[in-house]
Amino acid sequence: MHVRLNDRAFALLLLAPAALFMLVLVAYPLLDLVRNSFFNGMLSAPDAGHFVGLDNYASAIASPQFSGALARTILYTLIVVPCELVLGIAAALLFNAIGQRSAIFRTVFAFPLMIAPLVAGLLWKFLLSDNFGVINWILHWVGILRDPTSISWLSDPTLVMFSVAIPDIWLTTSFVALVVYAGLQGIPGDILEAATIDGAAYFQRLRYVTLPLLRPVLAVVLVIRGVDAAKTFDVIWLQTQGGPAFASEVLSLQIYRTTIRFGDLGQGAAIATMFLVAMTVVSIVAVARVWRPGEGARRA
Amino acid sequence: MRRVGIIAVLFVLVAGACSSSATTAPGGSVTAGVTLNVLVEAGGYGAEVTLAKAFEIATGNHINFVQVPYQGVYDKLSAEMSSKAGAYDVATIDEVWLPTFASFLVPLDSLFTADVKSNLFAHEVEVAQQGGHYVGMPMWDNAEIIFYRSDLFSDQAEQANFKAKYGYDLAAPTTWQQYSDIAQFFTRKDASGAATLYGSAVTGAMDSDFENLSLQAGSPGTILDANGKSIINNAQHQQALQYLTDLVCKYKVSPPNVAASDWGATQNLFNQGKAAMMMFWGHAYRFIPSDAPVVGKVGVAPMIAGSAGIGATPGPWFNVIPTSSKHQDVAQAWIKFAYDHNDFALQAPLGLVATKSAYNSVVGTAGFENIKPLLDTLSGPATKDRPLVADWQKIVDNVLVPTVQKAVACGSSPTDLLNAADQQLKSMGH
Repeated sequence: MHVRLNDRAFALLLLAPAALFMLVLVAYPLLDLVRNSFFNGMLSAPDAGHFVGLDNYASAIASPQFSGALARTILYTLIVVPCELVLGIAAALLFNAIGQRSAIFRTVFAFPLMIAPLVAGLLWKFLLSDNFGVINWILHWVGILRDPTSISWLSDPTLVMFSVAIPDIWLTTSFVALVVYAGLQGIPGDILEAATIDGAAYFQRLRYVTLPLLRPVLAVVLVIRGVDAAKTFDVIWLQTQGGPAFASEVLSLQIYRTTIRFGDLGQGAAIATMFLVAMTVVSIVAVARVWRPGEGARRA
Repeated sequence: MRRVGIIAVLFVLVAGACSSSATTAPGGSVTAGVTLNVLVEAGGYGAEVTLAKAFEIATGNHINFVQVPYQGVYDKLSAEMSSKAGAYDVATIDEVWLPTFASFLVPLDSLFTADVKSNLFAHEVEVAQQGGHYVGMPMWDNAEIIFYRSDLFSDQAEQANFKAKYGYDLAAPTTWQQYSDIAQFFTRKDASGAATLYGSAVTGAMDSDFENLSLQAGSPGTILDANGKSIINNAQHQQALQYLTDLVCKYKVSPPNVAASDWGATQNLFNQGKAAMMMFWGHAYRFIPSDAPVVGKVGVAPMIAGSAGIGATPGPWFNVIPTSSKHQDVAQAWIKFAYDHNDFALQAPLGLVATKSAYNSVVGTAGFENIKPLLDTLSGPATKDRPLVADWQKIVDNVLVPTVQKAVACGSSPTDLLNAADQQLKSMGH
């Protein structure tokens, strides 16, 4: 017997395995996380918790450590993402200008991308070490620092958030550069040529032609890197473990510490749920405001 | 038919010989053919691997070690407690975690005979008992002692200069004043003002130095009293934090950025020859790398004494059996074997044991110069365990370490910091 499916049904059938995967490995754990946030379970006895309503949320929001971690998460994202965007776009424009000869440079530039964040965190911990770090000694040798211990990269509370951001920028700028470079390849050459003929200078073409056409690519990069930066854990944990005195503790570290080290499953889940909701909202806004999908079709 | 019968018998014999199911070990008293998964900290692996080989020969069981960093032991055992997956049969854990995991551990009361208890340090026996049962058997014990550069201390010019300046002979420090004097004496700078030698490494990112000093100053306990109530801002704790702050901020005997100095950084500073002294865990004596500039130039001495005498917070580690283990009988046999042959661990790089008899067997032996100072420190009149409360990790992470870090960052009054810490502890129910 021959069963005929319409296009919609066939599409749904093809989506079914992926949907099942998402249901089991994404939706179920997420629902369990949200459920845990309304109970006061401990990691040692997760099923023994009692329903406490919004108590976990209230105590998390009232905690100065939560507000501090939230502020530092926003600060870290605002440091990392713009730096990577600017440096990545600049590198991509440079590669684009060089053309095919940039292949070797693009390859070398992508090397940090192949390094695990764990390794990068350890590497930069040693490079930035206050007493033995190569960075301080180089600055001392070239005469910028009088004393190689002058800059306490990882122990100065006013500096540490910028210091822990360095490995992230070093690791991921090449990702931004490669994605933007790929986007630049998709810009029709005749549009740029027409702008040149009309007398537009380089930066005018960049501002009025290139960047607007790169908007979908930039939106994707912004969302991906923004969410990645906000949920950074390993790079910061390896370097400072959130110290000194919480000066580099971001929300992901606080979630880990609350859930795993203190065993407070309920409060850890509450913080994680709030974080998840916030990231989802930010992503939606970023896509809607930067990418504006379908705007071209609506204008036509 | 006869052929089928012969084949059947042969099959049974071969199947029996090839069976992987546990059988009785040679010696007859414990199941054999079992693989035990033992969770250890990286340093502990060395202490237990030789024992494991002997255990395997004696019992026919295999030990599979899972090595993780210090915090990883807590994290993995927490996950095991939550999941009850049976991933680990034995874990070697820090004493401070015993209250957290006590309800999840198999009682080992039968192992604690009178002979065993008399051969262990009193604090080990006390700590092993949680909720009316002995839930862990000590594997090794440790405490912080004084490490110093014996080459500098024995240099005649240094000795003469020190005597001229301070009026007493240069020797391993025994008091707070001597430690401070010697640290200041050995802090040296070159013409450009850059430090060439620091008088003392200070572990500003950990809580142990502060706790040790508080006991030496005569506090009845460190951080919490016997009822679990905060005493962190009593006079002795204030003296302790002030002393630590003065070393870093007033006398500048350590690098200026010790707020990020964890144990690894402290050890590295000393082993690289950049510090004349450090207060550090006794096992580090045997962990000095063979290519370190200080090889052959390190002396060890008991922890310094305050007004209450020598004091330190011991750091015993215990072998425990999670209730989720599927091989509890073999696990218990392993723990007993580890106790009975505790002296094996002396040959490991860690060089630490838990029993008096094992320690005493190497006092005076070359290569074990750290053992006598360690024994003296463990027996010190002010030596006391850290508080064993279920939320100790939270206290360390949220209160103690930030307090010490802020103090050694130089800009806050130790009294104000301790008062704030006291408020935090009270808000946590202490």
